[in-house]
Amino acid sequence: MRALAVALVLAAGLAMSAGSRREAPKRSRAQILALGERMYREGILPSGEPLQGVVKGDVPVSGVAFTCRNCHLRSGMGSYEGGVSTPPITAAKLFQRQFWQFPNLTEAERVEAGVAQSKLRRPAYTDGSLADAIRTGVDPQGRTLNDVMPRYDLSPADMAILVAYLKTLSAEYSPGVTATTIRFATILTPEVTAAEEEALRVPLDNFIASHNRLPQGFGNRMYRSTSGRDMSLSHRQITLARWRLTGPPATWSAQLEAHQRREPVFALLGGMSHGDWKPIHTFCEAHGIPCLFPLTDLPVVSDSDWYTVYFSKGLWQEGEAAARFLAARPEGTAVLQVVEDTPRGRALAAGFDAAWHEAGKAPVRTVQVARDALGPETLLWLAGQGGSRALVLWAGPEAYPALQALAQSSQPPVVVCMASGLLGPRLGELPEAARASTFVTYPFRAPADEPKFARYANSLLVGLTALDNTERIYTRMYSLVEVLKQALMDMDRSYYRDALLDALGMQKDRVLPDYERLSFGPGQRYASKGCYVVQLTPGPQPVLVKRSDWVIH
Amino acid sequence: MAAMRGGTRWVRTGVLALLASLALLGAEPPYKRTVEAYAVPDVTLVDQDGAKVPLRSLLASDKVVVLDFIFGTCTTICPVLSAGYANLQQRLGPRSADIRLVSISIDPENDTPKVMREYLKRYRARPGWTFLTGKREDIDRAMHAFNAYIPNKMSHYPLTLIRTPRSGAWTRIFGLMSTSEFLEECRKAGIQ
Repeated sequence: MRALAVALVLAAGLAMSAGSRREAPKRSRAQILALGERMYREGILPSGEPLQGVVKGDVPVSGVAFTCRNCHLRSGMGSYEGGVSTPPITAAKLFQRQFWQFPNLTEAERVEAGVAQSKLRRPAYTDGSLADAIRTGVDPQGRTLNDVMPRYDLSPADMAILVAYLKTLSAEYSPGVTATTIRFATILTPEVTAAEEEALRVPLDNFIASHNRLPQGFGNRMYRSTSGRDMSLSHRQITLARWRLTGPPATWSAQLEAHQRREPVFALLGGMSHGDWKPIHTFCEAHGIPCLFPLTDLPVVSDSDWYTVYFSKGLWQEGEAAARFLAARPEGTAVLQVVEDTPRGRALAAGFDAAWHEAGKAPVRTVQVARDALGPETLLWLAGQGGSRALVLWAGPEAYPALQALAQSSQPPVVVCMASGLLGPRLGELPEAARASTFVTYPFRAPADEPKFARYANSLLVGLTALDNTERIYTRMYSLVEVLKQALMDMDRSYYRDALLDALGMQKDRVLPDYERLSFGPGQRYASKGCYVVQLTPGPQPVLVKRSDWVIH
Repeated sequence: MAAMRGGTRWVRTGVLALLASLALLGAEPPYKRTVEAYAVPDVTLVDQDGAKVPLRSLLASDKVVVLDFIFGTCTTICPVLSAGYANLQQRLGPRSADIRLVSISIDPENDTPKVMREYLKRYRARPGWTFLTGKREDIDRAMHAFNAYIPNKMSHYPLTLIRTPRSGAWTRIFGLMSTSEFLEECRKAGIQ
């Protein structure tokens, strides 16, 4: 055991001495850091067992429930929650002296700002004093740390691995950040039109222009802000590049890599695609680049991916809402799902199937049909098979004649579910004969309630020539800007990509245009969790009537 | 004038530093304990198995009931509260059947039955610990009824409520308890 400790300690480049004759497993530095990362993020020891610790004096806790990351967050930037302030434990903080006043200034900046003599909060941690603090909860000043910080029972070998990892945690600013600038980019796939690009770019450019004017206002005066934050030093000019992709999706990864080599960016803002976002999502995961709020109906739906934050799960979420709605109805016992054979139709079906399964229901009968083959004959024939009482119809307006024929047939389904994400601007043309039985998923705030929220975006629209917001582009870019501004402020000067995502995860719920509520939380990646189910009133200009809550349980 | 503003700033900095040092030193006062009467609202929530649960009948139990407000992706406070629940069950052993543990989500949009099941699994919850989600307005009514309304989940606070079945009175505990303190509170409520 001791030999193991020594090998690890030496490999980690730590100065400790001990003697041993036994051979220890040889680990590369990369392996040691990967083990340390697993301890930090998942609470799992190199042995595969969970870390063990104690909180509140006598409450034993497993590392799986109490990871370092829980409170200190993935970047190590720390958090404030429930009245408990969790200090940052990035490499730059742990292994530097910390002061009570202006704790975010470096030593050189303290001299420049004239606060070099302020009172020491604690000296820089050493390997030994850090190990003591983690084991016993006593810091180098002899003070006891809050007892919600677990006292972890770690062997010297495991401690050395964790400390080696902490020495690398957010040790250097991420790519795309210089002393004066943070570089961002926005990605547009080939089919995005010039008008769509303008609606996306103008709000972002207006925000950036006002952000970049900020230092003119305060210069060095902000050194002495009471919060200890110094706006003048933390300020960076923002630039936004446009990465326009060309050709087939299989070539995008190489194009993105070339862009990132030429002009590395800190993160991606917005962006848009009418197709599958997966190639870009995969690039961001592989290269560790945050991507905030791309406009897509086809996001990647994952419980564990980290780098892309979406407004919602898109069409998948509409399918989920339909399943939750239908599962609670009596017709939910006999369901036929007809799916147009497109990525959009399949995304709806995937969301429906997942939520249907979660509701404890047996799989529904599902038929995929080519998009142009959904005529009245096909649909009538399908609906006539198997005695279905509910029809889930994942098709666009081209299925309206079939829907009308079905509604006027001798045995119409009691309930039909459709998705506004496929019906698009022609939602209001839903056949009158089918309106009493048709329920449509609608993943936005009801139109009648929206105008006062949509107005928020007006401040960022200067210079926009086409004010059509059918696709909710500029209002959603406004929401992105609101969330980003808060995140940049909360990050303070922690210009690490993980810190951006951590800051986003700790934001309060927001009420903004388009969605009833955007909510956040560490690791949450789909800010809007809701989707109404609505019906249409009769007449040529139907009103949407809510038939469900925003979130259906 | 400038000097006065500067002085105010230093005072504020000092107060902040004092508060920070209290947190850092673990010198916060022990938990605050009061005995209260609450009217439980007639709402139906959803448990980790997706079952509908009328809150009033769940809480009006012959057993000692413990209630807290947590959420699945919470960083700091909820893990401590939930470790307290798990350790209480562990320490009570077979007697844990005599106590009903209830957690109500304050992030009902994200906390689906699946998220709640995974959360309970992470804490190795035993049977007898119910995690509830539901309509936001129903959750809000429950929080209001227990004088625990938290408009935003990121600014919640540690609260544990213990119901004595004999009297129906609730012991309200503001702050975080050690297991020995938690056991003592449960004993006062009737756990032998």
